[in-house]
Amino acid sequence: MSFFNNYIYGSNEYLGRLYLIVSSLITFGLITLYSISTDPLSISSSFMRQLIFIIFSLFVFFVLNQINVKTIHDNSTLIYIFSFLLCFVPFFLSPVENTYRWIDLGFFYIQPGEYLKCATIILIAKYLSNHQLEVKEGYIVFIPILIALLSSFLVLNQPDLGTAVIIFAPVLPMMLWAGVNGFTLFLLIAPVITIIAASNNMIFNIWGVIMFIIFMTFQGGLLKRVLIYFANIFTGLLFPFFWNDFLNGYQRQRFIDFLNPDLDPMGSSYHIIQSITAIGSGGMFGKGWGQGSQTQLKFLPVQESDFILSVIAEEFGFFGIAVIMFLFFMLIKTLLDIAFKSSDYFSSLVIVGLTSILFSHIFVNSAMTIGLMPVKGLPTPFVSAGGSFMLLCFIILSLVTNFSKN
Amino acid sequence: MLKIENKADIFHYRTLLFVLVFSILTLLSRYFYLQVIEYERYSSKSQVNSVRAQATYAPRGLILDRNGVVLVENYPTYILTVTPYELDNKEKQFQIISDITDISIDELSRRYKKYNQGRFLPTVIAKNLSFAEISQIEERRLELSGFQYKRFDERLYNDVLKDAHFLGYLRELDRESIPFLDKSQLYRAGELIGWQGLEKQYETELRYSKGIEYIEVDTYGREINTINDNNIPAYPGKNLTLSIDSKLQQFSKNLLIDQKGVILVSNVDTGDILSMVSNPSYNLDIYRGETTDSDWSNLLSDEDKPIINRNIAGLYPPGSSFKIITAFNLIEDGLLDPEDSLMCTGSYIPPGSSNTFNCWKGDGHGLVDLNKAIAQSCNVYFYETVQLIKLADWTKTAKIFGFQNKTDIDLPNELIGQIPDKEFFINTYGRWGWSERGVLLNLTLGQGDILVTPLQSLRYINHIASKGKTAKLKLNANKKVEYYDDIILSEQTWDRVIKGLYDVVNSEGGSGWRAKQPEVKLYGKTSTAENPHGEPHAWFNGFFDFEGQTYSLVVLVENGGGGGAVASPIAGEIVKFFTSEQVEMVNK
Repeated sequence: MSFFNNYIYGSNEYLGRLYLIVSSLITFGLITLYSISTDPLSISSSFMRQLIFIIFSLFVFFVLNQINVKTIHDNSTLIYIFSFLLCFVPFFLSPVENTYRWIDLGFFYIQPGEYLKCATIILIAKYLSNHQLEVKEGYIVFIPILIALLSSFLVLNQPDLGTAVIIFAPVLPMMLWAGVNGFTLFLLIAPVITIIAASNNMIFNIWGVIMFIIFMTFQGGLLKRVLIYFANIFTGLLFPFFWNDFLNGYQRQRFIDFLNPDLDPMGSSYHIIQSITAIGSGGMFGKGWGQGSQTQLKFLPVQESDFILSVIAEEFGFFGIAVIMFLFFMLIKTLLDIAFKSSDYFSSLVIVGLTSILFSHIFVNSAMTIGLMPVKGLPTPFVSAGGSFMLLCFIILSLVTNFSKN
Repeated sequence: MLKIENKADIFHYRTLLFVLVFSILTLLSRYFYLQVIEYERYSSKSQVNSVRAQATYAPRGLILDRNGVVLVENYPTYILTVTPYELDNKEKQFQIISDITDISIDELSRRYKKYNQGRFLPTVIAKNLSFAEISQIEERRLELSGFQYKRFDERLYNDVLKDAHFLGYLRELDRESIPFLDKSQLYRAGELIGWQGLEKQYETELRYSKGIEYIEVDTYGREINTINDNNIPAYPGKNLTLSIDSKLQQFSKNLLIDQKGVILVSNVDTGDILSMVSNPSYNLDIYRGETTDSDWSNLLSDEDKPIINRNIAGLYPPGSSFKIITAFNLIEDGLLDPEDSLMCTGSYIPPGSSNTFNCWKGDGHGLVDLNKAIAQSCNVYFYETVQLIKLADWTKTAKIFGFQNKTDIDLPNELIGQIPDKEFFINTYGRWGWSERGVLLNLTLGQGDILVTPLQSLRYINHIASKGKTAKLKLNANKKVEYYDDIILSEQTWDRVIKGLYDVVNSEGGSGWRAKQPEVKLYGKTSTAENPHGEPHAWFNGFFDFEGQTYSLVVLVENGGGGGAVASPIAGEIVKFFTSEQVEMVNK
């Protein structure tokens, strides 16, 4: 490994570790895909397709590696505008599965929303690094949030709620990294928690008290703090009213359908039940490779992309899951290490943003398979089958490699 | 190197690391809870039984004619499937099946291999089983573990129209095609899908919507119980009502009985196609059940090409009907006075050439004006007058009338034919291998490199019949009437041409006099199109008013001879059909 590092990238020890982890994850994914393909060696099997995507992505990885960080930094606005416009292209093509998310390239589909995520991060990173001195001021947060909102609003119209939410995932960690003060960050997440907490009286009361204490501890004008506090409480109180009384059942359903168009006709609870049964029946060491009765009998739908972790859990047991979770942990930690050691501010912020994207995918996908989150088509990095997202993962990898060269 | 130095704080690094560790541990503990603590529960749940979702089906929509006559319906058959891992003695069990169904063991083994989808999934090995065969299988149920039969609807065609190409057919879906289909329709290998004709065009409407049924199965996949909660019922496909009148279709088919060719009848006002015959044809039933490979290759290699729908995919030189294209240019652009006459002596020698071009009438038409030239289809008149027109203008007019363009009919695989322009001639004959004046002599007779489909010809005559504002041709009776781009020509131009077409049928010496009917005003143009395959093709394109509606028709008899002698009488018969007693069927 060290030879590999020294030869290509000088003496950056973290990159070697990163590649080792990524190769392990990919191998793990391929082994699992092989197990669930009916005819793994035919060109249309998910295993072979994945193999082809990986080779193609590797090629893209090496090409992108040639691009200088400074080029990316200086052209970040251009990159953003380009990605933004690319997201409009599907609206002029015929819809794929009733959505406008995909561009059909013949041999596979690409999802421009995925690339908009990266472009958003780069633009936000540039803004934050250029305004480093003002970072202690509260207003610094507005521009990054506006950029994220713009991107998010666009993909929401495709419609793609999953990507729209994920676009916000990097915003908080990047601001934290940039040094935005804690109270400002708290103000940003408070309304979201308020709305969620509003579903239950008890939780809402507890949250009200916690919020009160936090507001009291921080500095600033009393009137301002009290106003913000009550604005929060009222948002929480009004939301259920708005949801239950203002919208009728039909409108609510329309809204849910709009947000979640890939709702499977079989019903999402069916997915969760099958996934949990598959996971639970795997036990400590699993049923063995190719032996998962739930997955092999195809009880579990979309198992090669959204539910690949359930397949791993059934065939390799908790042991397999522990290994893969360890790999995920090391992946994210290594990326944070690289960000921390990075010599310039912009690179460091971009890497933190990209890391947040990968982590949110890992978290949402895993949480979905064990029923902690609603079914949402977000694949797991480097493991799930799927060309567009695999390509994105490799683009992220190549950006990280690039940005750690300094 | 960028200027601004990284000032990442170790506190921020630790905060993010803490969030990471916390989230991963949350996930892991949940996995641990499910897989280790609750293992017994889920293990037994997965072993004893699982819920399997199974698709349920409903019938595909029917295809009806405009009067509600069923043209295509569904016919129940049974298919036999086998699930590989449930077999206990493959050879012996195949022997039993072979005895019952008369399918050889070799054939069964071949299908078993070919259609295999995996050890746990049922594979289709026999189709079209009769109820008697199913009963025998049911009797020997115990010996036949792993074998299952289920109902499988196939298409049944009405005897009258079982050779109508436009209906199209269904095909069994293979795994390779699935990624290219609409995913929301949930296609699976082995299901039937509209593959040609209207079945393909209206696949989304005709196809049933699949239902879901939840079944409790044991660890071997055997059914234990059906669960009634959350089942989604299957809904039948929508019926498709055609503009076709099956009586007229049958009547016109009989007019062509031994000849190759096409008969098209449409309602000009709505674009509805009432009859679309393409002869020879073949029995659509061959797509059902078992057709031997030799039957197939005979059909495909047949020189008369019965497999092709000549209406949309047959390309023919149009012949004299294209003289009208020249006429449109002459009148609209004021290139001559239509009342002026010139002398037809039976032949024409272009200036500066030594070649003689003959009129079809050897001793000539004498003095000819535009009206007479159309009515009697005088070649010499058009030879001389086409010299006044530029090639580019001429081809532009042809294209305005829809040639070398799709008619947008609701059928897949329509061909567009060819209107040769300057570029075409340069590519084909070289820059100096042709002259504009020379090729126009050919084009004005609708000969040479022009190719059109009969349907384009129908659109052409509809444009004339409606004076340029024309409904798009269609087969679906319930499809909204749409219009082609308006063709804007002066009223005088339309009137002159239409008068000419009237005289083709109704004046003395008109080339289409054999089509004339006493009670109906029929307009038309005969064509006799020379071609390299033998006798000329006989055409008649025409329209007539009947009970307040305008109808149009195209008759083409391949290698039939003269348009006047062969195609006109057939056109006359069709008009007669309208005036005879069956009329109320048509006009409904």
